[in-house]
Formats: sequence, C-alpha cells, structure tokens
Amino acid sequence: MLRKLKWIMLTLLALILGLFLHYNLPQTDIVRIVGTSFRGMDLGWENQWAFSAPESGSNTANAASRDILFIDTVTPSGRPSVFRNEDTAWGWPPYFKFNSFDLQAAAGNLASTAEAPKWVAITHYGWRIQFLTIFPNAIKVRQVESPDVTIIPWGSIIILTVLALLAFLFWRMWAQFHERTIEPAMIEVEEALDAVDARADAAKAQARGTWGRFTAWLGTWRAKPRK
Amino acid sequence: MILGLARLALFLFVALTVLFFLLRIYARSLRREALEEEWDAGGITEDRDAFIHRGMAAYEKSLFVKLFWLVYVIPTVVISALVYFLNFYQ
Repeated sequence: MLRKLKWIMLTLLALILGLFLHYNLPQTDIVRIVGTSFRGMDLGWENQWAFSAPESGSNTANAASRDILFIDTVTPSGRPSVFRNEDTAWGWPPYFKFNSFDLQAAAGNLASTAEAPKWVAITHYGWRIQFLTIFPNAIKVRQVESPDVTIIPWGSIIILTVLALLAFLFWRMWAQFHERTIEPAMIEVEEALDAVDARADAAKAQARGTWGRFTAWLGTWRAKPRK
Repeated sequence: MILGLARLALFLFVALTVLFFLLRIYARSLRREALEEEWDAGGITEDRDAFIHRGMAAYEKSLFVKLFWLVYVIPTVVISALVYFLNFYQ
C-alpha cells in the first residue's frame, strides 16, 4: 500500500515537472502570419495566470483589463494558431523579453497571403487552451525557406542540459553529506543506544526479584504446546 | 521595470548565495576526504590531524576556492547576454 502510494506520488511529481517544463521551455512552430492585432481583454482568475504583467514600464494598476497584442497565424496544414505577444520583462518565465512592440512590427512585416506564403519560424512558450482563452507567448519570429525546414531546439537542449547537471550536482552533494555527516552520526547514535540497551538488560536482570519470580511461577501454569 | 529588476536581483541573490555556500561546503568536504585518504594510504610520518589541518589551510588559500565567486558572475553575464540577444540582436 505504502509502496503504491510512493509510486503514485512519484508519478504525480514527474507529471507536474513535465507539464511545468513543457509550458516554460521554448518551442518553435512554422506558420504563415495572417496579421497582427491588439484586443482589449478583461482577464479573469481562470486565465490571468497565463498572461504576463502589463508591458515593462507601464502602470500595473489595471493588469486584468488592458489591450494585449496578438499575432494571428495559420499552420502549413491550414489550422489557425494565435499567439499573444507580451513582455515577460524581469519576471517568470525568464525570457527577458522587453520588445513586444518591435516584435509586433517584425511580425506584421512578415505577414503574407495563402497565394504567396512567407513561412515564418515563430519561437514561443506556453499553451493555447480554448476553454480558458489562453495563448502561447511569441518570443521571436524569423523567415524560413519552406514549411519543412529542420529546426534544432538549441534553447531547450541547453536549458535541459544545465538542469540535468544541477540535478546531478545536488545528488552528489546529498550523497557526500549522507556519507560524511549522517552515517557517522547514525553510528554514534547506534552505539549510544547499544550502551543504553546493555544497561537496561543489566537493570532488568537485577530487578527480577519477587515479582519476576511470581510471573515465572504463573508461567508454569500455561498450557504446554502439544506434541 | 525598476521594481521588477529589484525583485529579480533579490531572488537571484538569495538563490545564488545558497548555491555558493552549498558548493563551498561540498568542495571542502571532498578535499578533506581526499586528504584523509592520502594519509590513510600510508607513507606520511606527520600526525593525521596536523596533516589534514595543514592541507585544509592550504586549500582555503588556493585559487580554486576563489573560483566559486563565478556562481555570482556567470548568471549575471548570462542574463545580460540574454537581454541583449533576445531583444536587440537581429
């Protein structure tokens, strides 16, 4: 039972970590930009977490009710794909993006029609969830030759490598701490307990006395195991 | 903008300080273990405690220990580079 619980907890933890990384790591899609726009949004508690703070330098008093920049795109297979375009500034996730208005201009410059498509690699993080009206945040746009160019996700590779190295480092630190600090302390405690045990045994032997003899005599009345 | 930067600096400073001290403790522990093993391998006439004490004193003064300040330097450089390359580099 406890073992099962442990596995459930570990699976849950891995799932949360996976979702967290999937939301925050950069991904690149190839799309055709249809147009750019800004829309006034009244954010609620359900979708506000997936939007950034107002643009860097702006007043944050009306964070939930403001204009937000959007980049409307279509994938090569013709599915719509809408991105928001907001500063992350110094906050989370750490993309240090301050240039959302410049990005909006660059995206507008790359807009094209279905007849004469310009393919654009758009780097973003986040999810599009229609139920909550949340959008991935575009970080960067650049034109590519065709919709089937191979894109190597260097950003994710570097971030995941650094995270793995940090995890390895903490694991080694813990192992060293365990070996050099916890184990010697445990041995000391064990030795102290052994000493206490030995003293208790000696005391018990001494304390047998009248009561001990009485319980031993009672014991002789117990049924003997049958042969 | 200023408040955001201050908040980032504060959180980063706290996190990096924890990492800085953890790294130093860990490296010191590794060094002490290596010194112990060196003495235990035999051939050293000096008293064990004195040998380790002297070795650790030399370690604390070494260039290697000063390298741990990179814990603060590297993230600052990386963040500055990210700000430049993600916003102003085409």
